[in-house]
Amino acid sequence: MRLRVLAVFLSAVQLGLLSTSLQAAPLTGEQLYDVACRACHSLGTAPDHRVGPPLDGLLNRQAGTVDGYQFSEALRTSGWVWRLPTLLAWLTDPDAAIPNNAMNYVNPLTAEETQRLSEWLLQQP
Amino acid sequence: MLTRRRLLEGSVAGLLASASGGCNDRGSGRRVVVVGAGLSGLNAALILERWGFEVDVVEAKTRVGGRLWTLDHLPGSPEGGGNVMGAQYGRVFHMAHHLDIALRTPPRTLPSDYFIGDQRITRASWASAAANPLPEAWRSIPPQRLMGKLNDTNPLLTTRAWHDPDLMASDQSADVGLKALGFPKAAIELIDANNSYGNNLQDTSLMALYRIMGEFGRLSGPALAVKEAALGNMRLPEAMAEQLTRPVSLGNPVVSIQHSSSRVQVALASGETLEADAAILALPLPAVRTIEVNLPASQTALLNQINYHKVVQLHCIVEAPFWEASGWSGSWWTDSPLGRIFTRPIPNTPRYNMTVWINGDDCDHLHALDEATCTETITQALWQLVPEARDVTSAGQLVRWSMDPYAGGAWALWRPGQAGTAHGAIRAPTGRLFFAGEHTAEAYRGMEGAMESGERASLEIMRVLA
Ligand SMILES: Cc1cc2nc3c(=O)[nH]c(=O)nc-3n(C[C@H](O)[C@H](O)[C@H](O)COP(=O)(O)OP(=O)(O)OC[C@H]3O[C@@H](n4cnc5c(N)ncnc54)[C@H](O)[C@@H]3O)c2cc1C
Ligand code: HEC
Repeated sequence: MRLRVLAVFLSAVQLGLLSTSLQAAPLTGEQLYDVACRACHSLGTAPDHRVGPPLDGLLNRQAGTVDGYQFSEALRTSGWVWRLPTLLAWLTDPDAAIPNNAMNYVNPLTAEETQRLSEWLLQQP
Repeated sequence: MLTRRRLLEGSVAGLLASASGGCNDRGSGRRVVVVGAGLSGLNAALILERWGFEVDVVEAKTRVGGRLWTLDHLPGSPEGGGNVMGAQYGRVFHMAHHLDIALRTPPRTLPSDYFIGDQRITRASWASAAANPLPEAWRSIPPQRLMGKLNDTNPLLTTRAWHDPDLMASDQSADVGLKALGFPKAAIELIDANNSYGNNLQDTSLMALYRIMGEFGRLSGPALAVKEAALGNMRLPEAMAEQLTRPVSLGNPVVSIQHSSSRVQVALASGETLEADAAILALPLPAVRTIEVNLPASQTALLNQINYHKVVQLHCIVEAPFWEASGWSGSWWTDSPLGRIFTRPIPNTPRYNMTVWINGDDCDHLHALDEATCTETITQALWQLVPEARDVTSAGQLVRWSMDPYAGGAWALWRPGQAGTAHGAIRAPTGRLFFAGEHTAEAYRGMEGAMESGERASLEIMRVLA
């Protein structure tokens, strides 16, 4: 497997296409979380100093219910439950999903990245 | 210098790491030059290093921090640049916490009284004062709150609404727009006197003002308190720079950049050239304009059109609260060329920091003076306005952001027609050049905007190179 990748790569080098032909692998859920979410959210280190609520054990969690975190009224009363479709909707356009939320976030990720990140995040214990 | 051999090894390592699902060294062997060691450049550099990139940060000044500049040589260490960390600055707070930079609630700036014309007005008597120029229905609104009236009609209800094509009618001259909204002439003049979001209202987009006011409205939700770094805000970028594997190259301005679809060459004033797979220009636009770089003509034209806010500050030290005997508060909001005077106590001392904060086009004549004459001009105007300050107040440091070639102003402004559309275009990557800095941020402005932009730029690079 590795050897084949290397072989393909080397032939690209021989063709002089080095940097341009090298297709970057898609960023992983972990990477996307690290760059785009980690500064404001934690995964399993409560109590926490961050501006956003902890996101561990998110799957099937009722929105706006982490003990000790002061959510906006909008999130608390949203009735949302975090699963793939709700998380995708939230991240794609938080203001459209739950108006008057307090995340103040514009998602810089592509649709595929958002999907990959969400799938990864919902698996975190 | 990156040799072909090293590039090859690096790329193979990167490929193998991704093929085997490795993570931390995914960018390994890939080299990025970050131009500018402000919050945006440093945040991008830290993220990229975390994911295995080799990062060189180059900085023109002999210090890091850029538009964060703590005046450590003055009592009370006042901030010459960014001062307040907003209640929702998640990225700034996390970075400070992570790097053990203590934050504190700022000592309270004394509330403002007013000088209108040459009349002094106390806060308490604003509504009834003869010198209050506002018509009846507006009289009780203090000058610094007048712009807040925009929230009665603010069409920007969400974080990204300022790019909404349906709302572009608001991307017009604020002067015209405010009149159309029924703001009285006196109110418009007072707003123009000390407007931090434009140099003058004719040349400022109403959309930009709506954006700021909307943000204030939205973010007042579950508010944490505003903060500052207890030992000075510059400690944050300093600590960030210390985390980097390779030290920031200081005092070494970038003079030109060549780039293709796969390589970047960054030429420094020292004569050295850095080669890399990508570069981030984490610079305010006036500083970008001084670098010779081949950008698409349309992007260059746009970059040249963006205005920066003019700010001149004179930082003074007050030995004793001269205002108390006469019943004044100690800070003043004026419609005079002196702008605003912010005074706050230096903790655990009897002294105060007093900052004369002049902004917008009122700065023009001050920019034309040499430093000593400028300081003298402001001081004389201060003695004239507040004679009782004279015996106990001394000038400490003049700060003129527009005259700093590596800043060119305090922050980006949006002119009519720019707020809606220019913003996305000025940060569009071109070849292997990427853009960061507060002016490229989407959700936030200021320090948090700078941090946000560093995340976005590193993401763009990781997409192409990781
Ligand atoms: C007076 C003032 C008050 C402010 N108040 C607040 C506030 O209360 N709250 C808030 O959040 N924000 C505030 N800000 C804004 C905040 O300070 C900035 O948004 C933020 O620091 C910008 O970071 P940056 O990385 O985008 O740019 P910068 O900090 O400007 O970093 C750019 C760096 O690039 C360097 N550089 C320039 N040219 C070159 C070159 N040719 N080669 C190499 N390096 C170069 C510069 O020296 C600088 O270090 C204030 C700013 C000012 C000026
Ligand atoms: C600038 C800080 C910030 C960033 C960056 C950020 N968030 Fe948030 N997030 C918040 C805040 C603040 C809230 C609480 C919002 C409220 O109460 O309305 C929140 C709430 C959430 C919630 C709801 C949690 C719950 O318990 O109901 C989820 C899910 C979430 N964020 C996911 C993410 C993901 C995924 C990312 C990265 C793509 C991200 N956020 C980036 C600040 C941030």
